[in-house]
Parts: sequence; C-alpha cells; structure tokens
Amino acid sequence: MIDIVLTINGERVEASIDPRLSLADFLREKLHLTGTHIGCEHGVCGACTIHLDGVSARSCITLAAACDGHDVKTIEGFEDDSTMSAIRTEFSREHALQCGYCSPGMLMTSYDLVTRFPGLDEADIRREMSGNLCRCTGYQGIVRALQNVYAMNQQQD
Amino acid sequence: MSSTGIGASVPRKEDRRHLHGQSTFVGDLKFPRMLDVAFVRSPVAHALIKTPEIDAEDRARVFTAVDVEAIAPIVADGTIPGYIRTAYPVMARDKANFVGQILAACLGSSRAEAEDVAERVFFDFDELPAIVDALAATDAAAPAIHPELTDNVFHRLELGEDFPDIRASAPVRLTRTYKLARQAIVPLEGRGVVALWDERANQLVVYSSTQSPHLIRNGLAEFLKLDQNRIRVVAPDVGGGFGYKAILHPEELILGFLAYKLKRPLRWLEDRREHLTAGANCREHIYNVTVYGDTQGQLLGLDAEVIVDAGAYSIWPHTCAFDAIQAAGILPGPYQLKNYRVVARTVATNKPPIQAYRAVARPGACFATELTIDALAREVKREAYLVRRENLVPVEAMPYRSVTGKLYDSGDYRQSLDIALGAIDLAGLRAEQQARLADGRPLLGVGFATYTEHTGVSTSVLAWMGTRLMPGHEQAAVRITPDGGVDIRTGVQSHGQGMETTLAQVASDVLGIDVDAIQVTHGDTALTPYSTGTYASRCMIMVGGAVADACDRLIGRMRMAAAHLMQRRPDELVFRDGAFHADAASMSVGEIAHIVYFAPAELPPDMDSAGLEVIGGYRPKTDTGAFAYSTHVAVLEIDRDFATVKLRDYVAVDDCGIQVNPMIVDGQILGGIVQGIGTALYEEVRYDESGQPQASTFADYLVPGCGDVPAIRLFKTETASPFTRFGIKGVGEGGAIAPPAAIVNAVNDALLPFGAEIGEVPASPARILRALQNVGLGPGFVAGGAS
Repeated sequence: MIDIVLTINGERVEASIDPRLSLADFLREKLHLTGTHIGCEHGVCGACTIHLDGVSARSCITLAAACDGHDVKTIEGFEDDSTMSAIRTEFSREHALQCGYCSPGMLMTSYDLVTRFPGLDEADIRREMSGNLCRCTGYQGIVRALQNVYAMNQQQD
Repeated sequence: MSSTGIGASVPRKEDRRHLHGQSTFVGDLKFPRMLDVAFVRSPVAHALIKTPEIDAEDRARVFTAVDVEAIAPIVADGTIPGYIRTAYPVMARDKANFVGQILAACLGSSRAEAEDVAERVFFDFDELPAIVDALAATDAAAPAIHPELTDNVFHRLELGEDFPDIRASAPVRLTRTYKLARQAIVPLEGRGVVALWDERANQLVVYSSTQSPHLIRNGLAEFLKLDQNRIRVVAPDVGGGFGYKAILHPEELILGFLAYKLKRPLRWLEDRREHLTAGANCREHIYNVTVYGDTQGQLLGLDAEVIVDAGAYSIWPHTCAFDAIQAAGILPGPYQLKNYRVVARTVATNKPPIQAYRAVARPGACFATELTIDALAREVKREAYLVRRENLVPVEAMPYRSVTGKLYDSGDYRQSLDIALGAIDLAGLRAEQQARLADGRPLLGVGFATYTEHTGVSTSVLAWMGTRLMPGHEQAAVRITPDGGVDIRTGVQSHGQGMETTLAQVASDVLGIDVDAIQVTHGDTALTPYSTGTYASRCMIMVGGAVADACDRLIGRMRMAAAHLMQRRPDELVFRDGAFHADAASMSVGEIAHIVYFAPAELPPDMDSAGLEVIGGYRPKTDTGAFAYSTHVAVLEIDRDFATVKLRDYVAVDDCGIQVNPMIVDGQILGGIVQGIGTALYEEVRYDESGQPQASTFADYLVPGCGDVPAIRLFKTETASPFTRFGIKGVGEGGAIAPPAAIVNAVNDALLPFGAEIGEVPASPARILRALQNVGLGPGFVAGGAS
C-alpha cells in the first residue's frame, strides 16, 4: 500500500492505496464518485474522462498513485460552473444523450475543448470529440450542442 | 390542451441526472459485505475439459460446473417447426464450445483480487477441431457440437411455392452471394449483475443491466427452480442495450445462485474484452440469392438461401432461430413480389451464441434484397432508383399482403424514395462521377436502399413464430395522485429511448396534464405490471397504448365522481385540459382526486370504490403489425490507393407513423444510422481457424467515432397506422437497417466502371481491394492487380 495526498473537486483527500489501483477505480470504489464511468478500461472510449491539473485525461489508464500531489476534477465537481451549465443545457436541448453512460465523459472533454480551444468549427469539433465514443446518439446532437456553445461564446466576445 | 402531449419535442426528464453524473447504473450500486466476481473463461474454442486444479487456499472462493450443477442448463424452448432443442450449461463441465465460455466463478473483495484468484485456477484441455465457418459446419465430416443436432443444424425452415415457369422463362437471371461479418453489439455500458439475498422480503434480488426485468425473473425462476415470488429483478439505469440485454445470460443465473447459496451480495461487471469476445456476438449471415426479372428490371421471382452462423448455443428465450426466421419472412422487402422461395438454416459453430442486435435480421435481409435490386438495375442498364421505384408497393395497394403473408398496413413507399432522390442532386453527382473517373480524384458513388419494418411485435405473429414467453401484449399502471399529478408504472425498461418522457407525453395527451406533473417508474418487477420488456420497436405502440387505456379508464371513473359533484349527467360533461366542463362550470382532476382520496363521504355510496389507480392494457385490434418504412441514400468517395471509404452525405427519409416526440424520434434514427454505418464499414470480430477471436479491444474492433460520420440529413413523413392507438409505428431499430445496403450499393456504384462489385460488410479496404483483384486491378485502380 502507498499513501497519497491529492485534491479532488477542490477537497484535500488522503488515502492509502494499492499501487495498481486505477484512478477510475479509486474515484468510484473508494470515494463513491460514480459519475466517472468505465467503458473499456483501455483508454479508447472516453467514458472515464476526468480533468487532471485542468486537462482532460483517461482515469481508467491513470494510476491513482501517479496522482499524488495533483489536482483531479470529476463531473461531480462542476455544480456551480457556468460554462458546464451552458454545455449541459445545450446537451439537453440538442438531445445529445440517450442512455447517458458516455455523457459525463463527453461533458468533461467538451468543457476542456470549450475552455482551452476557442473558435472550433464543426469539422474541428468532430475531430476533437473523436476520442469519446457514444453508441446511442450518432453524435449529431453532441456536435450541435458544442456548436451552440461556441456560437454563444463568440457572441459574448 | 396541454402542450406536452403527443407531437411535442419535450426535453427529456432523464437528462438531468445523467448530465450531473447522478445516474445509478448497476456498477454504481454498493452493498455491505459485497464481493466481486471474475470468471475463468475457456481459452480454447472446442475441447474436452479435464479436472481443474485449484489451490487449497482458493477452494472456498472458486466455483466450477460441479458446484453450480443445481442450476438447470438453459434450454431455449419453443414450438418453432424444425427447431431442435439443445442445452446451454451455465458453466462448461466436460466440453468447452467457444472461447470465452464460463468455466469457473472466482470471488474477491475487489475485481482485481477476484481476477488474481482466477489467474491461479488451472484448466487443462484435450483440444478438438474447431468449427469456425458455418458452411464447413454442415459438412458430414465436421465434428458435432451438440449430439442432438444433425450436421450441426439447429433449425431448418423452408417457405414458399416453387415457380418453375418463371424460372424457365424470365429474361434476366442473376445469382449473388452476400455476407455480413460477425459483429459485437457494444452498448457503452457492458452488462452487469449484482445479486443479493433479502432476508426481510425472503427474496433473491437481482440487479441486472437488462432490458427485460420481468423476463429475467421468469428465467431465473425456471433455471434456479425457485418460485417467481422468491425473486425480484431490478434494472436500474441501463447504459444502452440494443438487444444484448433483452435475453437471459448465464452470469445472471450464476450470480443469483451463488448469492442465494452464500447469502452475500455478489457483483460482476462485464469488461470490454469479455463483451467483445465472449458476450455480444451478432449479425453473421450468408445469403445465396437468385433473382428473376424482366428486361426493365421488374421482379418476377426470388430464390434465396439463408445461413445464419449461430455460434455454439441457442439463446433464451427467443432461440438462435430468430434471425433466420425473420430473414426468411422479410427478404421480399417493400416490393411487389409474387414468386418467392427460401430455405433458411441456423448452424452451430464454435463461436459465442449469436444474439439479436438492433433490428435483428433486418439489416442482413435488407442488404441482400437491396444489393439484388441494384445488381438487377446494373444488368438491365437502368438507374437503380428507377428499378427500385417501379417494384415498390404503390400506395394504392395498401394495405398490402406480402408474398410471405405480412400485411403492410399503410404508407407511400415510392414517395419516400422520391423525397430521398429530391434531397440529392443525382444529375450533378453523375456528372461529377464522370469527371472524377477521368481526372484521377477519389471515385464517387451513390447508393439507395428502401425498407419496410414490422414494428411492435404482435401477438399473432409471435404465436406463429413459436417463440416462447414473447406474448406481445402489454399493461401499464396509472394512478392519479391526491394532488392531481400522475404516477405511471411500466414493466418495460427505458435505457436511452426516453420513455420516462414519452410515456408521460401519452398520459399528458389523454389527461391534459403537463408532463412535469407525471412520473414514470420502470424496470423493477416489485413495482410494475408484468411485461416481456423492451425490444422489437414495441414500447411506444404497446406501452403507449396501455398507458392511454389506463388514462381512459381513469377519466371514466372521475367522470362519475364529477357528475355527482357537479350535479349533471355523466354524458353532459366534456373532459378537456385536465378538467370536466359543463357550461361555465368546471372541475379539475386535482379537485376530483382530492375528494376521492380525502372526502369520499361527499360521493354516493354506490360509487366505484376502486380509487384512482388502474392497470390498463393494450393489444391492437388488428395485431398484424405497424410497418414503418424508410429510404436511405449514401454518397461516398473511395480513395484510389488505399480503398478507404469516406461518407460525404447521408440522407434518411423516415415514416414511423405519428411521432410522440419528434426530437427523440430523430435521435433514435440518427443513432441507428451510425450503428448501421459501423456494420457497413468498420465493425467485425474475426476468428482464426482455431476459433480464437481476433478483436478483443477497441483498438481492433472499430466503433464509428464522431469524426467518421457526416452530418446526417433527416426527412420525415407521418402516415398514421390504421391499426394502432394514435397511429404510432415503432422507430427504435429502423435506422440500423439500411446503412449496410445503401453504403455498399454506393460502393458498387463507384466501382461500376471497373466491372467490380462487393457483396460483403464491412466494406473494408481489404474487401474492396479484393474485389478489384478479382477483375485484374490493383491499388490505384490500374491493371496488374491479379495475382
């Protein structure tokens, strides 16, 4: 077992963990933060996407031990965030989710795009979102939701 | 009238919890003392199993076939003519029949620890030759997978009368072979089971990621040999199903049995490798088709052979014969065809059991029929859409009895094709195609496909098919709450379809109450009326009908109370906008409910005392089915060097009758289309000659991503079904049906100048290059490819 100290959704967390424990399992099994979903456990589907030091990352192929001293944010950590609120509103408006299993990961990647990469067009969005698989929607609503958020941000600029 | 009734694109009630990471999937459930389960699965496809070696320290937490022999083998029964019953043991004891078959269950305090135990269990095998090819399976020399079967054939079906005159006289005769690769279903959430013994209720509680909780309860009772009231099945949030979660799986029985035996909560969550290799196989069909036509391409007759590679076992309840029976019945498609004959066989191989993926056999049958229409058009040198159009059942012929006896209820199929044609500039595309041919740019192809789909599986049809436990009726419970709101309880499960919203819309439509005041509960056998579950594009028709029926009955009960309270005759009252009206007086549902619940003394003593909760039911009066239909068009480019296909435009023109929520209908169609694009271009689980699956991760099993698909253009018409309440037709599966056909027709359209064509999906670069090689061309579409 090894001891780690990290920040999760703004709170300091201390834990003693098995070195092989993934960040996804740490969040879900030890901290009961089950909004982070597991879809493939090999870093392809994107359902487990979280933010590590402000940048989107795959929690299924990140060891919890490697996050010692780092800042982790999950879907549960955005309740008072106006940007995430806008993305959520557009996801619902554009029917960008059906079963909802991929949605937390989709939102985490979307947030990262919207906040770090302004001015993306449809082709850019399709390329950048290609690391998150959705089996239900055919992606059209997801792309439209992000286009709407970009359009709103452009109007504000 | 409430503005949230049928036809309104109401935002979904489900969205909030999902978008805040607050949904509850099986994997999110935690119970005290819960243990995780990892399975030891067969590493070989066909082998005799020797006695396993288990470390003494692991003996208490490893369970092999002998430990679970009290679980009866799964036998998918039925009265299907020509179907031979076989047994599917939940764990293999003497012989393994596919890679991934369960050999042992191992327990640990985490999945990792359970997998550590599984690592230490050692099985040795005497390997047998594996059958991986359905055609080789029926060879007399092939080894037998089940002793009950002859030539490894689970089921054989012959339909139709011979037509020797047509065969002798038809001016055009073409023969083609079509193949659909074995595919995986891939809901983003795999399956999961948590089982526990509830001492207080004296019940085994099984939480399962299932589309059909009541059906799973039937199955658990049958094979665990428990009374049904000793079992409760709960489906919490379910992360997509697409048919994979509509059947009983061995893991549900094993977890249920061990939790009952050990009196400890147990959890198993399918990982992606288990899903791709052991779990969710589907779609593997072969079609041999001979079509007879006239010189204009009019269909005169169709001879077909269907072979379904069912894998090693027959699934419960709908059996492995489901695909072949369906394919045989629908190959004539939306066309006027008088002469049709088919032989269908369902064959055993050493691969995982085939399962009914979204639209079941329809993508395969549509692929065979629509490629045949295009081949016929090429043969008579006419535009495929013209040949297609002339053969489609005309609107004047509706309702139309197909050659296989299906009654197409309504619709203008030719209009669907015309709208699709109008959505693209065919003349412009033909000109561009010629220009590209000359200047060396990627090739351009345009392909059409039209289908009609029997939605809302119906009682009489299911009875004919002989599938057990799929009765095709439905009930729903509706309660007016004391404050005038509505509770709906339904035994189906909504896992993406948005039924928490759309069923509320149906009640909103009938009762005139806003959906915000209507709550839908589903997916728990303890709380809901019986249902066989969510499949076959049935829920909106069937549960919608049942909810509406319950609401009608409630209005009837409330009318009696309202008449007394308003001192009118019942027939003098008009019910609208959630209230009874007579002249200027009115009384709302909430006011009536308050009196019924809390002041019944104000009502006459002979008033029905059953309160404001009823179970309504639905079975359409004419239950031959509501046929939805659609035309798809694919426009694509093929790279000349790498033979990669790029979709440039995709159009779908759908008619699913009256739409309850057009936004959700669009979502169902779009999602289905992208799954169909996966079938058409990317998805394939290959097996080597020893039966080892070659796709075990998302790196080698390609699911379409956001960047692989174009913006899809949808068009819709609304032709009410004359047979269903509100005129609804089903739409859940349709999108997935036509893309393989439309896309491969477009590929063949692009290849036409080179005399090459393909008849297989996925239309991978390797398959396209092989088609070119067959006509002596190599990469770059230049001569010299033949080897």
